[in-house]
Amino acid sequence: MDSMVRNPDVKQRDAAQAVVVAVSSDAIFTPEVEQVHGATEPLRKGDAFSFMKAIQVVNERLLTLNSDETLLFDVILLSNDSEEKHSRIIASAKHYGLDIGRFCFCNKEDSIESLQSNNVKLFLSTDTNDVCKALQKGVPAALLYHQTDPHHQTEDQLKVVFSGDVIGSSEEMLHGLREQGFTETQLQGFKTAKGSVKEFAILMGEMRRRFGLEGSPLCTGLMTAWSSRDVCASALKTLRGWGLLVDEAFCLAGAPRSPILNLVRPHIICLDGLYHMEGFTAMS
Amino acid sequence: KELRSERDSLTGTQRPKPQNAITIAVSSRVLFNMDKEQQIYEQKGMEEYLKYQIEHETEPFGPGPAFPFVKALEAVNTRLRELYPESEELFDVVLMTNNHAHVGLRLINTINHHRLFIERFCMTGGNSPIGYLKAYHTNLYLSADPMKVREALEEGIAAATMFNPPEKRTEVSETQLRVAFDGDAVLFSDESERIYKAHGLDKFFEHEKAHENTLLDHGPLKGFLESLGKLQKKFYAKGQRMDCPIRTYLVTARSAASSGTRALKTLRSWGLDTDEALFLAGAPKGPMLEKIRPHIFFDDQMFHVEGAAELGTVAAHVPYGVAQKRPQKKLAVENAKDSSAAAK
Repeated sequence: MDSMVRNPDVKQRDAAQAVVVAVSSDAIFTPEVEQVHGATEPLRKGDAFSFMKAIQVVNERLLTLNSDETLLFDVILLSNDSEEKHSRIIASAKHYGLDIGRFCFCNKEDSIESLQSNNVKLFLSTDTNDVCKALQKGVPAALLYHQTDPHHQTEDQLKVVFSGDVIGSSEEMLHGLREQGFTETQLQGFKTAKGSVKEFAILMGEMRRRFGLEGSPLCTGLMTAWSSRDVCASALKTLRGWGLLVDEAFCLAGAPRSPILNLVRPHIICLDGLYHMEGFTAMS
Repeated sequence: KELRSERDSLTGTQRPKPQNAITIAVSSRVLFNMDKEQQIYEQKGMEEYLKYQIEHETEPFGPGPAFPFVKALEAVNTRLRELYPESEELFDVVLMTNNHAHVGLRLINTINHHRLFIERFCMTGGNSPIGYLKAYHTNLYLSADPMKVREALEEGIAAATMFNPPEKRTEVSETQLRVAFDGDAVLFSDESERIYKAHGLDKFFEHEKAHENTLLDHGPLKGFLESLGKLQKKFYAKGQRMDCPIRTYLVTARSAASSGTRALKTLRSWGLDTDEALFLAGAPKGPMLEKIRPHIFFDDQMFHVEGAAELGTVAAHVPYGVAQKRPQKKLAVENAKDSSAAAK
């Protein structure tokens, strides 16, 4: 059971046409170490803050180009917090002027169901476990990339990076992973994740095409962490087949990821199922 | 000491540590010939340029000025792997381009076509690649864009600008890498050149003789010579001094009789040497280079770069020091010192 609260300060989007993104409350507002009863000040900004601001810029630019645009980001804040914190969350969103369309309050166990029933196109969290659980259940999910220096993350351009090691691998290569010790469940998880990534990639491709090559508020990228350049090429082709021509591409072929990711500065990384790879965790 | 590399916990593939390798970053325009496409970009803009690239995706580019150099690096790697199969002390060539990822497929197709061993690349979609150079522990950066080269030098990274290869190109070896360096403002600092520019040749010779025993300061490419020397020693250790697939040359306008001593003493004190030292006493470098046939020649003066090209040598410009026409920020010679002093 969830309780869905519409945000009166934000113009409601057409949820059927929009890119519905659910963001965990703990990502938007830093969870408090000590719960102070009756506290009213706004909650502190969390890791997803610059993402929220960047999304706003994209929506504004889309509406400037076409005031009737329906392919907009539509954010649902997903909270598992106790009831006494609900109003504080809503007030904090208002305080920061965040473009949150709806607030969804539910129990942790019911989160996945809420995501599924609300046609969520992407669920975002800084917690890799939450992301992988969602992916396993067929809910498209991505990791909010934790910047070691939050001031470096830009707020005027949304940067979405797709991980390409699985997208670019052929069926035989994925079968080969069985020899490396992956279970059937995990392999099935990759297939499911690939399907979810596809949906989101198609939407990002469509949105990216609304803007020109230069000066776009949305920037897309591809990164392969350990695969060969041919897998990277295959991933580029696959994404293109889904309608997404990425702006940036990186083939690391085993080089350490953190230094590169800290330069690429994505807001979100769409993992293709290999969510437990070190270097992609929220605290890297 | 070589750092042990981690096995990727997921796939079991060996993860080479960039610090162990000698990383050479090349831009797309120096690795391949993209003249036609560059023209389209300059005349018709980004959209037309990318459209053209995608339409011609399956047509490989021809070789660019750095191509023979990169091929020779691979030849050295092959020999190193034979002698030291477990070692990561190899050349690692990275494609570092601010080109758009739309060009990615054509670039990868071209790499495949020419059978190049380039596994890593960064296509930054218009953003500066300079930060990535540091992230990859780049030892040498080659680009067609002098501004990026200058930026890299300012960050303490050895870098040089490359131009269209000479019409009449001297044939170079496919089995032995040959690298030639100018001395002042390339291997050494530009301090002596300052004297020459301010006070003329006689004063320069006087000054050099008087300071014969004073070491010159480091120049931007000292670290790269050092890396080459390190690999050479690996061949010597296996008794392959005569057959070493790396050969280095100092080609300087200094004269053996007077100013050359200071240069040699400085190199020796750094524990470095070049296989050959050619003191031209001011004579043009072109003819000598034609005999040497290096894959690349580094000089800080465009006059010498152009002179070399006229006679068929691929030369790269190091925009450092007093010889440059444009005023520069104080260059990070201190950084260069630190980065080459740190265990590589």
